Amino acid sequence: MSTRDSQLDKHLEALFGGLDTAADFDTRLMTRLQAASQTDAAERAIRVQQERLRYRKAQLGLRSWHRSVLRLLTLDTLGIAVLLVVAIVTAWPHLDRDVLDISRQYVPYIATLLGVLVTAVPLVGTWVERTRGPVSLR
Amino acid sequence: MELVRAQRRDEAIAVLLPAFRRKVFGLAFSFLRNREAAEDVTQDVFIKVWRALPAFDGRASLSTWIYTIARNASLSALRARRPQSSLSDPEVMDAVDAIDTAAPADSMVERAALLRLVDQLPRKQRQVIVLFYMEEQSHEEVATMLAMPVGTVKTLLHRARARLSAAAGN
Repeated sequence: MSTRDSQLDKHLEALFGGLDTAADFDTRLMTRLQAASQTDAAERAIRVQQERLRYRKAQLGLRSWHRSVLRLLTLDTLGIAVLLVVAIVTAWPHLDRDVLDISRQYVPYIATLLGVLVTAVPLVGTWVERTRGPVSLR
Repeated sequence: MELVRAQRRDEAIAVLLPAFRRKVFGLAFSFLRNREAAEDVTQDVFIKVWRALPAFDGRASLSTWIYTIARNASLSALRARRPQSSLSDPEVMDAVDAIDTAAPADSMVERAALLRLVDQLPRKQRQVIVLFYMEEQSHEEVATMLAMPVGTVKTLLHRARARLSAAAGN
């Protein structure tokens, strides 16, 4: 390395070697970090509260949806039962005598089955609704 | 690193600050050529580091990660504050002069002239010069800071010094 190069090195080192932040840099940074920490905590608390509200709202929505499905299921079962009765009553005069004889034997069973179905579906639905615990949201 | 893993970011930043403050400041200064702007960016970098520490996964080394944040923050600040100031602006000269107030008057003149020469260098050469002489002449450290291969740093430094030497000789 020539003398001129080493002189240049010395000058550049003198220029940039002592480059540093102001003396109060750390204090200012710590103050900003403290403020940021407080802001973060406040924002986090707001976010948690919003998340809780959103969860509660979704939970209520889901519960109301369950109830609607249950109501619909009850009405569906009732409709199916009515349709079956109507179909049987309509078809009855046109059925063959042998079929009628066999059918007569099973009428009480069919009627009982329909009755059980119409009663059991809403009961089972209500029982499921009560025993399944809190509604889970995924 | 243990403090980072343990998510104790306040303690982690207290350890990182003395180790990286000057380096981050130097990196920001090499981009911005303005002491106050570089300090602001350095503060922002440490706040970003503090916020992002819980997400640091250790895939890159901590220094590489911090320098990446510093480079991005400096570039954003550079884009935001056009027109640029230069190393030879009076305010920058004052700031650099403040580094060593005990220097004699004739050396101040030399320094001012040298600053102007450094300022005229292409950006990458100028950055290498600032960081190399700030960082106790470590090619490796400058390469990490600027995300460049060590060979590139050496080449840039060689070219910058040749240019400065030639200009100073004229």
